[in-house]
Amino acid sequence: MKIALNKLQSWEGFLLCALIFITLLNVYLSPQFLSFSNWINLFQLSIEKVIVALVMTFVIINAEIDLSVGSMMGLSACAFGWMVQGGVPGGLVIITCLIIGVVGGAINGWFITKAGLPSLVVTLATLIGFRGLARVLVEDRGINEFPEWFDALGQQGLIGPIPFAIIAFFILFTALYIVLQRSGFGRKTYLIGTNREVADYAGINTAGHKMILFIASGLVSAFAGLLYAARVGAVRGDVALGFELDIITIVLLGGVSIFGGSGTLFGTLLAILIVLSLRNGMALINITGHVQTGVIGLLLIGSVIAPRIHLTSFWRRLKGEHL
Amino acid sequence: MKNIFKLTAAAALSLGTAGATLAGGHSVSLTPGEDINMVLLPKFLGILVFDQANEGAQEAHAELGNTGELLFVGPTPENSTAGQIEIMTTSATQGQGAVMLSNNAGDQIVPSAVAAQAAGTRVVTWDSPIPSGEGEDVFVAQVDFGSIGTVMADMAHSILGGSGQMAVLSATPDAANQNAWIAAMEDALKGEKYSNIELVDIVYGDDQAEVSYNRALALVDKHPNLGVIMSPTTVGIQAAAKAMQDEGMCGQVGVSGLGLPSEMVSYTMNGCAPEFALWDFRDLGYLTYYTAYGLASGQMKGEIGETFNAGRMGDFTIEEDPGRPGSSRILMGDFTVYNSENVEAASK
Repeated sequence: MKIALNKLQSWEGFLLCALIFITLLNVYLSPQFLSFSNWINLFQLSIEKVIVALVMTFVIINAEIDLSVGSMMGLSACAFGWMVQGGVPGGLVIITCLIIGVVGGAINGWFITKAGLPSLVVTLATLIGFRGLARVLVEDRGINEFPEWFDALGQQGLIGPIPFAIIAFFILFTALYIVLQRSGFGRKTYLIGTNREVADYAGINTAGHKMILFIASGLVSAFAGLLYAARVGAVRGDVALGFELDIITIVLLGGVSIFGGSGTLFGTLLAILIVLSLRNGMALINITGHVQTGVIGLLLIGSVIAPRIHLTSFWRRLKGEHL
Repeated sequence: MKNIFKLTAAAALSLGTAGATLAGGHSVSLTPGEDINMVLLPKFLGILVFDQANEGAQEAHAELGNTGELLFVGPTPENSTAGQIEIMTTSATQGQGAVMLSNNAGDQIVPSAVAAQAAGTRVVTWDSPIPSGEGEDVFVAQVDFGSIGTVMADMAHSILGGSGQMAVLSATPDAANQNAWIAAMEDALKGEKYSNIELVDIVYGDDQAEVSYNRALALVDKHPNLGVIMSPTTVGIQAAAKAMQDEGMCGQVGVSGLGLPSEMVSYTMNGCAPEFALWDFRDLGYLTYYTAYGLASGQMKGEIGETFNAGRMGDFTIEEDPGRPGSSRILMGDFTVYNSENVEAASK
């Protein structure tokens, strides 16, 4: 009981309570909320963002940031459309797009680790650069003549009614959870994020570690861009525009410190569930547009401020103990 | 209250039926009072013309005595594509009878619109269609853009009193729609009626107020005998009218083109922009609502050649869209030309 109570006093515990509250409210307000098809929609509508949020968790714990993920998603999706339209076979196109992701991530990684520039600046530049390339490829057109199997992969169920992207998300989550919370690579990620100099002295190849993370971020973003193209069956130059902000919002809400060193993938998962159920619940009771954006914005402000209020003392005060 | 609406609707419908009988065709008269939930989904919220479309839809909603709910929901401008897809998907989950969409997502809306149709939700587009036509029952088109050339030539003719010089202030040199409209006007100007109108210049204000303002001033410096500035963009026409007003040249040079009544009303009333054209977004919302109500209630099938009665606006027929073969459209009608007599009413 005491352990359970201690767990509840953590940020994850707070998120869990918030999630339960939001879920109950949604069930009360919308009869459709609990339907299986609604839950598939709930995930499917934001699936590309939440997949990228998993890798973003690693990057931010490592005390870096990758602002170029949305543009990389757009670049990968547009490159796909451009090549498919040019008659290149689908399988080859997908591999090429994933390679674009790796190269893009390596470019970020090189400037950050070898040239020593801050990731905020480097990825801000590639945010503009990747988006520019995407727009050059498709110009002002929409491309929608995709192979049928590709559209089916994005729009139909793979196992029963569950589409490929949702399955990919849960497989990726499990794999990354093991890597971050149960492996040496994960421990190094935290250590470098807490104090890079100490990690350097401890003989850790911090530059190589960061390089791997940025390449992974580029690769997963390119993968997510392909998922987006398959889900909506068409691409334009503005695909995934501004997605990086939603992705970073989720990760910070999940309790990952923007200064690095702390946070868990479980927290990110809870934040994903909170943001998605909140969005979905608001849409079901017809709250859209600026009000929806405002509520999510308030949530972020809360998530940045709340960890600074000492939760334990707050609990003690609640229980009537003097400090 | 509901009964009053029903009576009004019935009266409007009987008038409409009489009109149809006179015309001799078979027109579907919609039975009012059905219970159908509908969603009006604009490109995004906070734009005047979409609010006006909503007013028109609300008017039709009351007139038809629909006991269901008419929702006006939309995304933010920066989240327009994803937001429209989300609302389309949610509408299907909610079991809405119809979604009326001004599409801003291109073909990216197709999978969610197809899914909505499969769930029994009718998808009627207005203002901006789904390019491929997939996932769409019918598109309610505001105007036939082919007629725009004649409309602009006629306004120039009227302002110039039959003869004089005209210049065009357009958006950007590569704006596809504006270029097509200017070409249509040049075609129309070849007609006998316009033989004394001379098109002396075409300039571009980049659809930015300040650039357009300066281009308009440069035009009157360069062409001292200029009688009309024709601007087929809402930004350009307003900037040109302001430039002529600031220079005190309104009696000499008239501004015309495509403009929003609410933005142009003062310039039309003081004579700087005596005539301009656009379509009425209230009418567009009203006609779209009638179409969606007819389809969602099962009273219309949505087939090409089907004629129905849309209350105060009269009869309309579903036809093949000439711009999108295989898709269907309903053509609302001609441009509305605004002048000092009707601009004030339209600007509210």
